[in-house]
Amino acid sequence: MPEPQSDVVSRVDAMYQDYAGRAKELAGQGARFIGYVCSFVPLEMIAASGCFPFRIRGDVHEPITKGDTLLETIVCPFYRSCFDLMLKGKYDFASGVVIPHACDSMVRSYDVWNYALNLPYTHFVNVPSVCGDSALRFFEAELISFKQSLEKYTGVSITDEKLAHSIRAYNLNRKKARDIYALRKTHPPAILGSDLVKVLSVGASLPVEESNELFDQVLQACSGANKTDAQSGPRILIDGPCLDNMDLIKLIEDCGAQVVGDTTCNGARDHFPLTDEIRPPVQALADRYLNKLNCPKTYRDNQAGTFEKDADNRFGDIESYAKDYSADGVILYVYKYCDPFGFEVPARKTYLESKNIPVLYLEDLYSSGATGQLKTRIQAFLEMIG
Amino acid sequence: MSDEQKANKPKKRMTATKAAASIGPMVKEFIAGTLKAREERSHKLAYTFIVCHHEEILRALDVLPIWTENFAGICGAKRDAERFLQRAESLGFSRSLCTYALCGLGFDQWREELGEMPPEAPWGGQARPDMMISSGQILCDPRAKWYQAAQQYMPDVPIYNIDLPHPLYDPKNDHKEQWAYYHKYIVEQLRGLVSFLEEQTGKKMDYDRLSELVELTEKTWNLIHETYELRKAVPTPMGTGDAMNTMVPMCFNMGTQVAYDFFVNLKKELEEKIQKGEGEVAEEKYRLMWGGGLPAWFALKDFNYFNSKGASFPVETTYRMVAPLYEMDIPDAKDPIERIAWRWLGYWNFWFDRARKRPGSHPDVERLINHIENYKIDGIVMHEAFSCRTWHVGLIWQLNQLAKIYKPIPVLSLGQNGKQQTKHCELPSLILESDIIDITSYSEADTRNKIDAFIETLESLRQNRADSK
Repeated sequence: MPEPQSDVVSRVDAMYQDYAGRAKELAGQGARFIGYVCSFVPLEMIAASGCFPFRIRGDVHEPITKGDTLLETIVCPFYRSCFDLMLKGKYDFASGVVIPHACDSMVRSYDVWNYALNLPYTHFVNVPSVCGDSALRFFEAELISFKQSLEKYTGVSITDEKLAHSIRAYNLNRKKARDIYALRKTHPPAILGSDLVKVLSVGASLPVEESNELFDQVLQACSGANKTDAQSGPRILIDGPCLDNMDLIKLIEDCGAQVVGDTTCNGARDHFPLTDEIRPPVQALADRYLNKLNCPKTYRDNQAGTFEKDADNRFGDIESYAKDYSADGVILYVYKYCDPFGFEVPARKTYLESKNIPVLYLEDLYSSGATGQLKTRIQAFLEMIG
Repeated sequence: MSDEQKANKPKKRMTATKAAASIGPMVKEFIAGTLKAREERSHKLAYTFIVCHHEEILRALDVLPIWTENFAGICGAKRDAERFLQRAESLGFSRSLCTYALCGLGFDQWREELGEMPPEAPWGGQARPDMMISSGQILCDPRAKWYQAAQQYMPDVPIYNIDLPHPLYDPKNDHKEQWAYYHKYIVEQLRGLVSFLEEQTGKKMDYDRLSELVELTEKTWNLIHETYELRKAVPTPMGTGDAMNTMVPMCFNMGTQVAYDFFVNLKKELEEKIQKGEGEVAEEKYRLMWGGGLPAWFALKDFNYFNSKGASFPVETTYRMVAPLYEMDIPDAKDPIERIAWRWLGYWNFWFDRARKRPGSHPDVERLINHIENYKIDGIVMHEAFSCRTWHVGLIWQLNQLAKIYKPIPVLSLGQNGKQQTKHCELPSLILESDIIDITSYSEADTRNKIDAFIETLESLRQNRADSK
C-alpha cells in the first residue's frame, strides 16, 4: 500500500530542510560527492567514476558575508550565495566541484572557487557556446578530458559500459521527474508546485538510485484523484534560470495561484531532455548537453531570418509547456546581473505576448529581503490574469 | 548643441604623447568612413568585437568592421550615453547588464524606428550593418547575446557567431595536452567565418592576401610589445591614460598598415622622450599599475588627477592585447587560418607556464608580479565597473592571492626586542568603482577622495622604504 501523500511530502520537506543530510551521512561512510551548480555538468560521467553528483543550493535567508571578501557583488546573486555557503563549510563533505562554461559569473569566478575552496578535485568543462558539427566534435573531446580527469582523481577506469549504465539511471530519473510533473496537469494539480521543487531538489542531493526510489514513492503517493488542497486560482508557469528559492514559489501559492510548470534549470530544462542510449556514450552525452539543453547561453543559428521564427525555435518550449500544463500566465524570473537571460527578456516577453500568454517579468536579488516587493507585483499580475 | 550640452561637454584629457593625442581624429575619421561606405555601398559593413583575432579575415574580404563597443565608449566619453541606456531600459533590458550593449541596443532600436540616425548622434552615429559577427569566447556573455537581441530590431541582418575557446588554467594539468583539439575547433570556426563572409560579400578569399595581412599583424604585435616595454624607463614616458587611446590602433586597426605605422611613430616618440628624460609626469614619485578593469570612459581625466599627485602609470593589464610572438611556444604553421588559431591559444595561455613555477600563483597573478618587478611598481589601481562581469570578476581575488604569495615592499618596524627590523608587506592597492559608460554610477568627489587617501599611503610607504635603505 502506498505511503499517504502527506507522509511522503512531510518526509521530503524534512529532507529539504536538512538538505545534504543524507549526502553527509554517506560521505561519512567514505562516499565521494562532487558538487555542481549548473545543468551543463554531465552528471552521468561523475556517477560512472564512482563519485556522486550533488547539486549545490543557495540560501536566500543567509546573508552573503564571507563570499563578499573574494567575489565581486556584480556576480549573479544565486551563484554568490552558493559560493558563500561553500566557503562557510555548509557543504564541507564535498570532495570537489565541477564548473561548466555556462555564464560569465561561473567562468570568471572558476579560479576563485578553485583556489579559495582548495578541494581535492576541481574541474572546468568547456561547453561550446554554439551548436553544429565542429562544436559537437570539440565537446566530445572536452568530455574525454573530463573523463580522464575524473579517472586520475578516483583511480577508477570509466568504461563505456559504466557510462551506459549511468546514462540509463539518469534517463530513468528524468522520466520519473517528468511523470511527477504530469501530476500538475490536473485541475487542481495533484502535487503543489512548491512540493515538486522540494522533491526535485532533494533528488539532486542523493545518489541517482536513491533519487529514483524517492521519485517512485512520490508518484505512488500522489497518483490518483485531486489530493492537494490547492485553490482553483490562476495556473502559473515559471520561466528562468535555476530557481531553488522556495519563498518565491510559496509566495505565488500564498497569493492564491498554483505553480504548474516551469522551464527552469533545476526543473524542466534539466529534467526533460534524455540522453540517447543507442549512440556511443560520450557522443550521446555531448549531444544531450549541447543540443538538447535549451539554455540561452548556447547560440543557435537564426536560419529562418525572421525574428518570429527564430523566437519559435528558441522559446517554443515555453509555449508548449504552457499549453500542456494549461498555464494562464508566465512569470519570467531573472536574477540581477544575469546576462544570458537578461538580454533575452524583451524577446521572451514579445514572443509570449504574441502567443497571448500574459507575462510578468521579475528581476530578483536572491534575498529574502526582496520578497515584499515581489509580492505586490505578483498580486497585481494575478489580479490582472485572474 | 544646446547651451546645457555645451556646459556638460567634457574637457579633454591631457595626453603625454603626441601619438595619443592623434587618436580622437583617427576614430572620428574611421566612423566617418563607415558612414560613407554605408551611403555609397562601397563596402560591406559588419558589427563586431575587438580581440577576436579575425580582423585579417574581414579585411582580406574588404569587409569594414564597425566596433560596436567602441561606439558605446565614444557615447560614454562624450557623456551622451544616458539617453540610449534609458531607451534600452524602456525596451525591457535591465540596467545591470553590460552598458556597452545596452547603449548599442538603445541606439540601434532608435535608429531603426526613425529610419535615420537618432538626433545629434555622437560623431554622426553608428551605421546600419550588413551583418553582425559575434563571439562570446569564454569570457563575455553580452558579446554572445547583444547581436541576437539586436536582431529583434534588425531581423534582416544575419549573424555569424564564432566560438573561440581556450583552456582555463589548472595548476594540476598541462593545458598543452588539450591544445590539439582546441586548435582544430578554432580553425573550423574561423573557416566557417570565411564561408559566411564569402557568401555575404560574393567574393572568394584570397589566401595570399590573407597571409600577408596575418604577417603584418604579427609584425605589429611584436612592435607593440617592444614599444610598450619602453615604458619601463624611469620616469616613464607614457602612462595608462595614453594607453587608453593607443589601444585604438591595437584593437581596431590590426591587419592594416595604419596600425603598424602608428606604433613605429609611437616607438620613435617614446625613445626621444626617454633620451630627453621626459616623463608622463614632471616629477615621478609613484609608479602605479592599472591592474585590471576597463576604464570609466567619461572620467579619463582621473588619470590627470593621479599625474598631478606625482603618480604615473607605466603599465596596465587592460587593453594590452598582444604578447610577443617570439616568446610563445606555439607550432609554426603556413596556413594563415591555422596561424591565427595558434596565436589565439598562445596569447590566452601566455602566462600559464610561468604561473606553474611559482606555488600558489595563477596566470593573472603572475602577470601582475611580472609587471610589478619589470616596471618597478609601487601600487596597483583597479576599476570595478558594475555592469561588466567579463573583466571585473576575480579582481578582488587576484589582489588577495597576490598578497598571499608576494610581499615586495620592505618596511621598517620595531621588533619584540625593541630593535628595528625589516618586514615585507604587500603592495598597496586601490579599487575604484563606477562603470564603463554609465555616468550615474560615478562620483568625482568620492573617487578623488579615494585617490588622495591612496596617495597618502604610497607616500608613507615611500618614506618607510627610504628609511630602510
